[in-house]
Amino acid sequence: MPLFEVENLTYYYPETEQPALRNVNIAIEEGEFLLVAGGSGSGKSSLARALAGLIPGFYGGRIGGTVRYKKRDIQSINRRDLAGEIGIVFQDPEKQLVMTGVEAEVAFGLENTGLPQPEMFRRVAEVMSFLGITSLKTEFTAALSGGQKQKLALASVLAMQPQALILDEPASQLDPSAAEDLFNLLKKLNEEMHLTIILVEQRLDRCFHLADRVVVMEHGEILREGPPGEIAAWEVKKGLPFVPPVAALFAHTGSPVIPLTVKEGRRLLKKSTWSGSKEKAAAAVRQEHAGPSPGKEPVFEVKDLWFAYPNGREALRGINLSAGPGEFLAVLGENAAGKTTLLKHLAGLLKPNRGKVTIMGRDTRQATPQQMARTVGYLSQNPNDYLFQDTVAEELHFTLNNLGLPDEGRVDRLLKKLGLDRCRQTNPRDLSSGERQRAALASVMVAGPRLLLLDEPTRGLDYGLKAGLGNLLREIAESGTTVLLVTHDVEFAAEYACRVVMLFDGRIASDGPKHAVLGNSMFYAPQISKLFRGIDSGVLTFREAVEKMRHSSIQNVFAKKSR
Amino acid sequence: MLQKFFYQEKGLFLQSLHPAVSVTFTAVLLVQTVIFTHPLYLAGILVVTFLAIWEAGGLAAWEGYMKVALWMAALVTAINPLVNHSGNTVLWEGPDLPLSGRPIFTVEAISYGAAMGVRLLDMVSVFCLFNLIVHPDCFFSLFSTFARKSALAVSLATRLLPVMFAAMQNIREAQQLRGVDFSKGTLRERAAKNASLINILLVSSLEDSLQLAEAMHARAFGSGPRSRYRRDVFRPRDGICLAGSIFSLGATIFGLARGVGSYTYFPELSSLFNSGASLPALAAVLGGLALPALLSWGCNHCHYLKWKT
Repeated sequence: MPLFEVENLTYYYPETEQPALRNVNIAIEEGEFLLVAGGSGSGKSSLARALAGLIPGFYGGRIGGTVRYKKRDIQSINRRDLAGEIGIVFQDPEKQLVMTGVEAEVAFGLENTGLPQPEMFRRVAEVMSFLGITSLKTEFTAALSGGQKQKLALASVLAMQPQALILDEPASQLDPSAAEDLFNLLKKLNEEMHLTIILVEQRLDRCFHLADRVVVMEHGEILREGPPGEIAAWEVKKGLPFVPPVAALFAHTGSPVIPLTVKEGRRLLKKSTWSGSKEKAAAAVRQEHAGPSPGKEPVFEVKDLWFAYPNGREALRGINLSAGPGEFLAVLGENAAGKTTLLKHLAGLLKPNRGKVTIMGRDTRQATPQQMARTVGYLSQNPNDYLFQDTVAEELHFTLNNLGLPDEGRVDRLLKKLGLDRCRQTNPRDLSSGERQRAALASVMVAGPRLLLLDEPTRGLDYGLKAGLGNLLREIAESGTTVLLVTHDVEFAAEYACRVVMLFDGRIASDGPKHAVLGNSMFYAPQISKLFRGIDSGVLTFREAVEKMRHSSIQNVFAKKSR
Repeated sequence: MLQKFFYQEKGLFLQSLHPAVSVTFTAVLLVQTVIFTHPLYLAGILVVTFLAIWEAGGLAAWEGYMKVALWMAALVTAINPLVNHSGNTVLWEGPDLPLSGRPIFTVEAISYGAAMGVRLLDMVSVFCLFNLIVHPDCFFSLFSTFARKSALAVSLATRLLPVMFAAMQNIREAQQLRGVDFSKGTLRERAAKNASLINILLVSSLEDSLQLAEAMHARAFGSGPRSRYRRDVFRPRDGICLAGSIFSLGATIFGLARGVGSYTYFPELSSLFNSGASLPALAAVLGGLALPALLSWGCNHCHYLKWKT
């Protein structure tokens, strides 16, 4: 018996002309693990909210069709009962935690449903023990890491013992290992607790294989649904990007079997007559450009940088780093490894306790952030921090006026380059998430900085928007601006950066060409690199893998098999 | 940097007390600080509060509070004799000055100023102690029995305040790197720059608040009467400390009714011990208040006492 039945669901948010959901029909079985994929604005989150009964109950708007839960119209179910049946975890844990302390947060939903104290205590104890967060019960929520906060958000929903759990991009704020932990936990909940899981996600490489069924959405409609392998093959055929790199690679080569995990892919690769060579790969690595351009003055130079916050926590310990014009660096590392602290030193926002940071030969200790602004562009994690003028064009003029720079057609050129020329008179707060980010980037880039710093720029972006941003940053780097970004997105770093710096506990664990660093990393390697580990260490990206396979016999083998 | 001023779970004895007991203890301290004028009582309360802060591992936080409070206390002590010319024991009489008249410094005015300075130190120390031993969630939970929505609103504000400060800092940094210098310009220009920060913060906070409301709605908030989650247990230690606080409050009321505990500064300083009951009353008031700190010390040094309480 289906747990959810959605029939001809069409939904308009208040004061909008375009529907967020168009004629959606889907049935979700009890105990199923459903993955919902699609681009930004495709209707994934709206579908999740409709299944959680938040649409139109919380949002208002116009709705057509029905959503039934256990054969009952979801809107007719008492909200208190519904909260005990269906739980929803949102993207940003920071924006869903209510209480100051961990234990009180877990109990919050239970208090709302009026449960008696002994029952609440039992559930709180059980769920905290199950998720391994009992040791955090007396902590303040503000003191938790991103991964712990998301686990707490999950605990506070699970405490209500729902039968269905809906998660809207729960891993978007997490580093790779925390994201992996979360997805493994979901699988455990699904398999051992028989919980129905509906996961909306953009980072598909770690969760595609976990699903029983994948739904692909576009423009508010369900394009296709089916088992992961079938969907992967169909997506590659249609040129859609919502598929893990391993599956996309094998589908691209014409393999009749589409592996969804690195393990399956490696098994397939080893069965075939792979003729890649380690020597060629090593040569490719050697050819890569890693350090500052010879003979050119470095754009930034960090010498023996030590920094501790006033609470005594040492965030950076003896950092040495430099980069020349046009280099594209990605800084990776776990949460609290010191990535953002390093970025803020390069922006001149923080000053070293010991050591030295110079930007274009200028010591940051001798300069205010305002003085650095002509040389350094800094885009923080939240693009909304930049947007407050009435129009996008005014945002760019605001920066120019502050720095006393003439326009001379800069605004027009930049807006065109970033694809924002049609939005120049639009209020930046009315833009989509991808457009907002580009508008914030434009407001920084308009000053023509020599060093561009970006903190987690791919957060919340879909594959298409990420590709757009990656290409744009690559262009910016090619034009001579040094680009340094901090990210958890290993796939993005592997695809677009030239050089990768790994930070661990405030120290540089490795620094070098991306093939050398990511190719040798066990946990921070992109999926394609994991696939080729020990087979061909020079392969890091999808394009490289396709190229290698084209020159090997593997493609022919698959082609023959499929015939 | 500011963390030391706020509650941090350290598993200490005083933090393990039932919130009703901790709140009663600090409330009694505060009430006594306000109603006592006797310098010995005020000084005694300061000593007892200091001991409790010590036992709560909060000396660093107390030092931080005292850096500001001592200046304020010194100011109160200095200003009082300047504006208060009462008292018979004149120490120094200055020349006649325009507007302010003739400055007269009396022993009584200086003593009164000093006592008020100590009272200020008492209040700040009690506030420091409260922050160190009472978990905010427990405090609000205590009041949620009769003021549910208000308690939740305050709890939410407590959680979101540091988040908003952090957001404000991020916005400021983003603006600085777009060339905004918040320290330059006329008063109007600086106000406009800071107003833009507030503008961004408010717009972003409104967007965030919608998400928070949605998360609360999804967890059935507002769907009917709520129950109250209690994680605190009432142990023998709570009974002892509560008894100490109530005993101290009782001794205070008894003493004040008998004229003990009040002190006359004007026109002449009265005797520190004006009756035979003065010393026992002082000992009773401070003894009751010192119980939590003494018990904490005892439990840290005697496992048997710890197990039994």
